[in-house]
Amino acid sequence: MKSQWNRREFLQHASAATLAALAAGAPVANLLSSCKGKSGSNSTADTVILLWMAGGMAHTETFDPKLYTPYERDMEGNRVLSTFKSLPTKLDGIHFSDGLQSIGNVMDKGTLIRSYVAADMGHILHSRHQYHWHTCYEPPQTVAAPHLGSWIAKELGPKNPVIPAFVDIGQRFTVGEAEELKAFHTAGFLGNEFGPFFIPDPSQGLDSVRPPVGMDAKRFERRNQLYNELINNSPVGEFGSDYQRESLKRSMEQAYALLNSPESKAFDLSTEPKKSYDTYNTGKFGLGCLLARRLTEQGARFISVTTEYEPFKGWDTHENGHTRLEEMKKQIDGPVAQLIKDLDEKGLLDRTMIVLASEFSRDMMVEGRPDQKVLEQVAQPDILSDLKFYGMHRHFTDGCSMLMFGGGIKKGFVYGKTADERPCKTIENPVKIDGIHQTIYHALGIAPDTQYEIEKRPFYTTPDGKGKPVMELLS
Amino acid sequence: MLLQANETFWLWQFLGRLHPLLVHFPIGLLCVALLLEILDWKRKSGALRDAISILTWVGAFSAVFAVVFGLMLADSEDASGQTFNIHKWSGIATMTLTVVALFALKAKNRAIFRSLLFCTVFGVSFAGHYGAMLTHGDDYLSSVLPGGAGGTKEPEGETEADFVLTNNGALNPQQVQELNIEVRTILAHNCYSCHSETKTKGDLRLDSKDAIMKGGEDGVVVIPNHPDKSELIRRISLPKGDKEAMPTKGKRLSEREIKVLTYWIEKGALWPDGKQKSIYRVAELEPRMPTVPAPTGDLTKPVDLFVNAYFQKNKIAWKPVVDDRTYIRRVYLDVIGLLPPPEKISAFIADSRPDKREILAKELLSRNDDYAQHWMTFWNDALRNDYSGTGYITGGRFDITKWLYTSLQDNKPYNFFVKELISPDKASEGFIKGIKWRGTINSSQRTEMQAAQNVAQVMLGLNLKCASCHDSFISDWKLADSYAFANIFADTLLEINRCDKPTGKIAGTKILFPELGEISVNASTEKRLRQLADFLVQPKDGRLYRTVSNRVWAQLLGRGIVEPVDAMDNVPWSEDLLDWLASDFVANGYDMKKLIFTIVTSKTYQLPSTSVKEAQDIMANNYKFTGMVRKRLSAEQFSDAISVAFSPMYADSAIVYKRLPEDIKPKLPFARAALVKNDPFLTSLGRPNRETVSTSRTSQANLLQALELTNGSKFTQTLKEGAKNWKTKYPTSDSLVTELYQKALGRTPLPKEIAAAKKILGPVPSEEGIQDLVWAIALVPEFQLIY
Repeated sequence: MKSQWNRREFLQHASAATLAALAAGAPVANLLSSCKGKSGSNSTADTVILLWMAGGMAHTETFDPKLYTPYERDMEGNRVLSTFKSLPTKLDGIHFSDGLQSIGNVMDKGTLIRSYVAADMGHILHSRHQYHWHTCYEPPQTVAAPHLGSWIAKELGPKNPVIPAFVDIGQRFTVGEAEELKAFHTAGFLGNEFGPFFIPDPSQGLDSVRPPVGMDAKRFERRNQLYNELINNSPVGEFGSDYQRESLKRSMEQAYALLNSPESKAFDLSTEPKKSYDTYNTGKFGLGCLLARRLTEQGARFISVTTEYEPFKGWDTHENGHTRLEEMKKQIDGPVAQLIKDLDEKGLLDRTMIVLASEFSRDMMVEGRPDQKVLEQVAQPDILSDLKFYGMHRHFTDGCSMLMFGGGIKKGFVYGKTADERPCKTIENPVKIDGIHQTIYHALGIAPDTQYEIEKRPFYTTPDGKGKPVMELLS
Repeated sequence: MLLQANETFWLWQFLGRLHPLLVHFPIGLLCVALLLEILDWKRKSGALRDAISILTWVGAFSAVFAVVFGLMLADSEDASGQTFNIHKWSGIATMTLTVVALFALKAKNRAIFRSLLFCTVFGVSFAGHYGAMLTHGDDYLSSVLPGGAGGTKEPEGETEADFVLTNNGALNPQQVQELNIEVRTILAHNCYSCHSETKTKGDLRLDSKDAIMKGGEDGVVVIPNHPDKSELIRRISLPKGDKEAMPTKGKRLSEREIKVLTYWIEKGALWPDGKQKSIYRVAELEPRMPTVPAPTGDLTKPVDLFVNAYFQKNKIAWKPVVDDRTYIRRVYLDVIGLLPPPEKISAFIADSRPDKREILAKELLSRNDDYAQHWMTFWNDALRNDYSGTGYITGGRFDITKWLYTSLQDNKPYNFFVKELISPDKASEGFIKGIKWRGTINSSQRTEMQAAQNVAQVMLGLNLKCASCHDSFISDWKLADSYAFANIFADTLLEINRCDKPTGKIAGTKILFPELGEISVNASTEKRLRQLADFLVQPKDGRLYRTVSNRVWAQLLGRGIVEPVDAMDNVPWSEDLLDWLASDFVANGYDMKKLIFTIVTSKTYQLPSTSVKEAQDIMANNYKFTGMVRKRLSAEQFSDAISVAFSPMYADSAIVYKRLPEDIKPKLPFARAALVKNDPFLTSLGRPNRETVSTSRTSQANLLQALELTNGSKFTQTLKEGAKNWKTKYPTSDSLVTELYQKALGRTPLPKEIAAAKKILGPVPSEEGIQDLVWAIALVPEFQLIY
């Protein structure tokens, strides 16, 4: 598998129909006038996989462990910095919290960031911070801000024309705060076309890209033939080459090509060798990682895999933090490490950037940030009378951990630092969201001042076009 | 072909690139040869003949190589164009001359050789000059000649201040004004992005008289009467690439722009007194009732007469109006959002009354509930009202569904409609209350500012979004204007924040157009809102009524008279038509249905539909109206069309009854999509998430949409359920196909179509066959477009 299609392969691969479909995408794009300078660098990545730790992943319990204090009944909460032992990783002097050994073992292939600082938006609302992380804009906004994946889809298009440019795996929109989640899972003003292709359940991924359930290939083919016959025979609407008619026809041809393409097999996890499948199968998130890998092999552009946000579930630990984190780590440790290893072995890691992140971190004592505490939301007593109070339950925005691998990211590198005593906040090289987005864009060769004019004013990838890539992260 | 086009063998490409190097040999050698020849001739010595001979030989050979390499270069780089052609042919001609000169030399015909050599040198210079133009640009040489003989040619006849280039005497006040506007326009387009209030590089601002005269951190930039000493002129005149050249980013100022600025400073950097005239186009606020042109031929309606005037001016001929079948489908979908039932179509066609189209329009407009259920979609988008969405979870948002439905059902006069939105009671307060997220938010997004922005956008067709963060770069609206307008909605006056940083300043309360009335700053919010509402709906607020008339026109005709519909300062394609529609709307008691009636019964509306090759052509400045622009069915119209023609898309339980008037149930013919919560199906077909105001939907199809229709569960489910019913209802394929065509497309199927359908249905329809046939019909443009 090559990282880039050359033109001949591309032409052979994409039927005339899909090419036409690509062309059909152009007019929407042209409606928005764009303005961008040269990126000034050659790209180092073609594909991005975002591994989303939804709900606030405590840094001191995962990738930035502090002093371990075992649970004792009626202990003082303030004494507890980490509720797990730390174990060494592949990197000298760098420890991870117990339960993340597999990821620790692939850290020679990527970068650990320990200084991500989330925005200060007052009273904490997960979906609002998630909106900010994914769009780089704080909600609400006067125009609908596009998701990171939509910007990438818009700027680079699909890598393989039959795989949607922006695939979103694992999030359902039937959970609490669903509307708030929808608000940023969108291409916004860039237009539907660049929006996410949702696969809420990775084990059902194939259903999204094959003919409707119960329709065999023959019938699917026949149905499409009929459609073509009707469209060619219609006595009304001989509209020549007007754009609506053309775009309708082309989009249908493109859908048909996708649903019929050999690549759509990638969505079918049942064809994965059992051993590999089992390694990934820690649940929905793990299978999401597997699907992400399979799609990357077929030429995906942007994939987001989430542990799924649902209020008080997953990483959103308002109580039982310690016990629940054991579970969460089991979910992510094996699949994330395997994803890195597989991509590396297949030679894909060089051009695929993997980002693991969360909207903010957690702490036992501080809600918000040390110098700007906000309204308390968690019933966390100062004295831990019960095991369920043992864990990081408050929302902490001043120091979060992130991982980045591949696509030009430094190998075996650690960036930033948090204090070893409470508050365990960022004390070195703070990184903000616009820096992260710009680092990703930089690696993809998307100019930092990329913008579109909407309602006559420029709307940049990062607010006011000010974000700068964190060059230290790139090799 | 495509793949081979660029595949020039590398060696040819390499040699080609030696052409610019090689050409200097014939130029240099032949020039020296001519010089020696002249010397020799004057001295009558003949001592230099050997040298001349060598020079000419080498010169001629190098000329031949230069031409050959040049042709390779041209081939590998696909060169073309007039300059290139002149260069090519003059080069070849010169080479030929050189070779002929060589023969003359060999033949020892000195006089002919001498004159040929002379011509050759001329030819070399000529070809060389055009070569230089190719590599360095057209004006490379001429631009540095005194008097600027060359330079970029300005387009003629476009500039207002052309006296600039000719007038040497004193300027009259009108000319001072014009010159000043032009200067400010040049500064705004080229300099404001770095030298204005928001961004002030080098401590220099160029957005006001005082600021310009004050200069920046390096001192004054403009010295009146002395452009030669003015830093501003020096910096913009520096060649590109110079470290001090301005602007540092973006394109250089044109020659003419520099000239205008120079002239302005020469004349004393004049700045007229009194209120500054805008550099942006600002539409008139006042209404205007233009005189209706006299009836001519069969044209009697004002809309048609104004369009006729427009057609005459633009040399557009009237086409015959559409047939009854097309008209009834169009007007049904536009007025009530539904497909016409087959029996209505045949009755309408059979109807022989001459005014049957008026009768039909009137009948549809009188179907109050159907009308309301259709127009809910448009107003929900515009007033960003939805049944689910952000904000509801924390009580930070209120819906106005009940109020909106009743208002549409009752055809509430538009002035009251606006008044109740701006000065609301509980039922309609959702619009100005905005969406409040938990936590702290950007000051330009506080709910009072949202209200200011949304009222400005929806009601007045103007954009305050820029100016709620800083003074706008795209209009004259200032930050203080936005705050003064937002303050009308605020319980306590807001502190002005510039780019989210507090300034310590507080604006009063002011309507964007103060001529509409004065808001009492000390009154209660309720009272202020009442004042605002009263002032905004006055007949003299022509802008309010132009904005809504234009929106309705755009809904029905597929393109506004002004576009974008939220930018009412833009030029309408017919000012008379827009002004008349707005004035007529007011004269008719702000009656929305009357406005719609006026439009859909015009001959103009009944013209055959038109379209464009590319979507952006619709918005283009040079757009010419020739008839309705074909529209795509909206998500709701598509869904309803399936429901009506085949089988319901939504179950009754999907209707948001709780948010609707209590007595609505019997008034719903089926579960209309405008009254259900947004879902992936509707989203994919273009229903926006109504977090922000949305006043137009894209008409283009895309992959995600096609996928949703091809294998999405919602549509597939409907097809399955419908097929069951249809199978029992229609025992034969013939009857089924005929009925389906009537219901879905409003016509009988052609024999070809029946044959195609039967191939998939068989003689006795199968459920699968029915599903597939309906699917195919639903996806053809004839079904999906309003044509």
